[in-house]
Amino acid sequence: MTRLLVAGSLLVAAPLGPTLEQSPIRFEEIAAAAGVRTTHQTRTFDGPYADTLRMFTTGGASAAVADFDNDGLDDLFVTSSERGSRNRLFHNDGGLKFTDVTDRAGVGGGNDAKSIVADALWFDYDNDGWCDLLVVRFGTPILYRNQGNGRFIDVSAASGLTTFANSIAAIALDYDNDGRLDLLLGHYFAPINLIDLPTTKVLPHDLDSASNGGGVALWRNAGGGRFVDVTRAAGLGEHTGWTLDVGHGDFNNDGLQDVYLANDYGTDRLFMNQGGGRFRDVTATAIGFDTKKGMNVEVADYDNDGWLDIYTTNIHDEYMKECAMLWHNNGDGTFTDLSRETGTCDTLWGWGAKFADFDNDGWLDLFVTNGLRSAGPDNYIPVLVKMITAPGVDFSDLRNWPAIGNMTWSGYQRKKLHRNLGDHTFREMAAEAGVDNDLDGRGVAIADFDNDGRLDLYQTSANQPALLYRGLAPRPGNWVQLALTGRSPRDAVGARVTLTAAGRTQIREVDGGNGYAGQSTERVHVGIGDATRVDSLTIRWPDGQVEQFDVQVNRLTRIRQGEAARAR
Amino acid sequence: MKRTRLVLTLIATTLAFQQLLAADGPALAELENHLANDPENLQLANAYRRSIIESGEYDRALRFFARLVETHTVAANAYLSYGFAHVDKIPTVGAVTQVVLAGAALSAFTRAVELRPSWIAYYTRGSSYLFWPKIFGRAPLGVADLEEALRIQQREPKRPYHVRTFLALGDGYWKVEQYDRARATWEQGLKQFPESEALRARITADAGRLAVMLDAAFDPTRRVDTDLSPLWNEP
Repeated sequence: MTRLLVAGSLLVAAPLGPTLEQSPIRFEEIAAAAGVRTTHQTRTFDGPYADTLRMFTTGGASAAVADFDNDGLDDLFVTSSERGSRNRLFHNDGGLKFTDVTDRAGVGGGNDAKSIVADALWFDYDNDGWCDLLVVRFGTPILYRNQGNGRFIDVSAASGLTTFANSIAAIALDYDNDGRLDLLLGHYFAPINLIDLPTTKVLPHDLDSASNGGGVALWRNAGGGRFVDVTRAAGLGEHTGWTLDVGHGDFNNDGLQDVYLANDYGTDRLFMNQGGGRFRDVTATAIGFDTKKGMNVEVADYDNDGWLDIYTTNIHDEYMKECAMLWHNNGDGTFTDLSRETGTCDTLWGWGAKFADFDNDGWLDLFVTNGLRSAGPDNYIPVLVKMITAPGVDFSDLRNWPAIGNMTWSGYQRKKLHRNLGDHTFREMAAEAGVDNDLDGRGVAIADFDNDGRLDLYQTSANQPALLYRGLAPRPGNWVQLALTGRSPRDAVGARVTLTAAGRTQIREVDGGNGYAGQSTERVHVGIGDATRVDSLTIRWPDGQVEQFDVQVNRLTRIRQGEAARAR
Repeated sequence: MKRTRLVLTLIATTLAFQQLLAADGPALAELENHLANDPENLQLANAYRRSIIESGEYDRALRFFARLVETHTVAANAYLSYGFAHVDKIPTVGAVTQVVLAGAALSAFTRAVELRPSWIAYYTRGSSYLFWPKIFGRAPLGVADLEEALRIQQREPKRPYHVRTFLALGDGYWKVEQYDRARATWEQGLKQFPESEALRARITADAGRLAVMLDAAFDPTRRVDTDLSPLWNEP
């Protein structure tokens, strides 16, 4: 009788919550089967402050997507950070199978005695049609030129990218519209080599408004494989925050790429491109001064109003209620943080976050990684707070920070997947979708690795294995995918796509690596729901030319600037 | 006779405040001068802090009270005011600095308790503990302080502000997951203060609503009402 009652209650209970099968967004984790389950290794340090330094350098787990061999399938580059550990280049063989081609390509290095790999970026710096690779380091970056035959050569020395910095983020953008992709690097620490410390005062002097970080560096692509540091000339030299991520987009629809800087321990910064190679800091009037721990810059028009919005993660945990920031672009030079109103505030200790339409319903969803350090049962926070509340303590001094040992700090956090409901709100559904892992996530890269029209998701984690989630939305809407080739820059970074289907207009911009520790595909993916045709497709190319194209739904279309659209 | 003198003093002090505050904006310097000569005066300190909140000169207040307790090392109320000055600044700063300020406020409140274990000292420190996230394990300390405040008020004539102890102590029990004691405390309070909507709301709320209510009540990002005027304004 009891058994019957229990069985009956299960039958009644089942319809109350959506099951995995019913969820509109669903993923299957296949990293091992696909051959991309590589494990990131955090850098270990020597000396009395090894523990604290390791704690402050737990980034470096990044992933960058590009079709490096132009075979029509997006490939994957994944970094590691421990001395001697190797980055991995995975060639997409099709059918969600990858082959490690690192050795043949010659791109595994970077973690040497003086340098720590922190991020990676694909971009075609020489406009030859082959994606080149930048390996970002606490050290000097490595620029690999793609030779078009599966091999790369190190051209760093000749490139001029030889200035030491603790770089942690990089994007490629054509800030001066000269047709060549420039580089914006975000620097975390000031330019002090952490492996060979000249001083113990290397940490932020203030945990809410620090100004002793590394700032940013803007490298102008001068052509001929040379880059020139134009940070000061461009108006970015005054920024000395702890930059954790950099992002770009045309926020005021004037055809110029603007820049948002996410800063740890203090105010994020928004710089509007004035033209003529100059930026203007509009933080005060556009977003105001925050005291949060900015971790990520993701740019997209989440509410389909024709203006690019910005999402940045912060720390929102039991002991610190900062909220992520969803900067809604008001279209008048100001932004309003709507994270609470939209339901995207609580990401715990957030890291990389990406907008993508996982169910192709015409509204961009949002996946957010989180989690700092999952270790033993003891919690570091009470220990840390004891230090923080001690009178007159100098936060910048390594000697004052208590060792973390095997303690956990904001660890074992479940990832967040916010489904866009199309009414300015999101619903969190990571568990339903099967992506609520509790690893110490860092980067996110989105791509359609199997070209099935459902976006897949690759997540890196610090000192832990990476995950590949294959998109399996059960009833996805129709979609359009575009692979754009610009006249210059070739990979069309900055191109603005405006697509209308069934009365709904969406915009996309090709970005040059937005998002912390994760570069998504350069392809443009647009879900169009039940619409069976595209009413109009307009592309504003980086050089300002505007063209209209006809495209088919549910297929990848390759578009070359100045030519008619060709469906695959 | 004693009571008459106290009332006259209060009237005189109140008139003095009104004169000080009637000028163009808050006369902070004058209030500081008065307080320097009368460091235990909570009313003066309260008026000063109200003006500071209006002007946003939080660091000025912190510097002033730091000097005050340095020169009046046994003035319990000066330490209370010093603690409140920290609390007043909390909503204007970042999350980490909030923790620093909250820690400093607690230290000042503790010194006030040590110097004069009064209702206001226990109530203040006890309430302050309740704002700390659970991870720090400070709610039980808050409960202990608030229990002491309740004991003290039970020995005194009933005052309208005593309702706050029932509210805070019930909240404290709820935070340490003694839900029955929380409800019993709120109910006990409501018997004594039947007009208290806050107590009634807690008693009638379901668990979910109560959680939201208390999260909001102890949200560290919101300004805590540190206005002490009910102490002397409520008969």
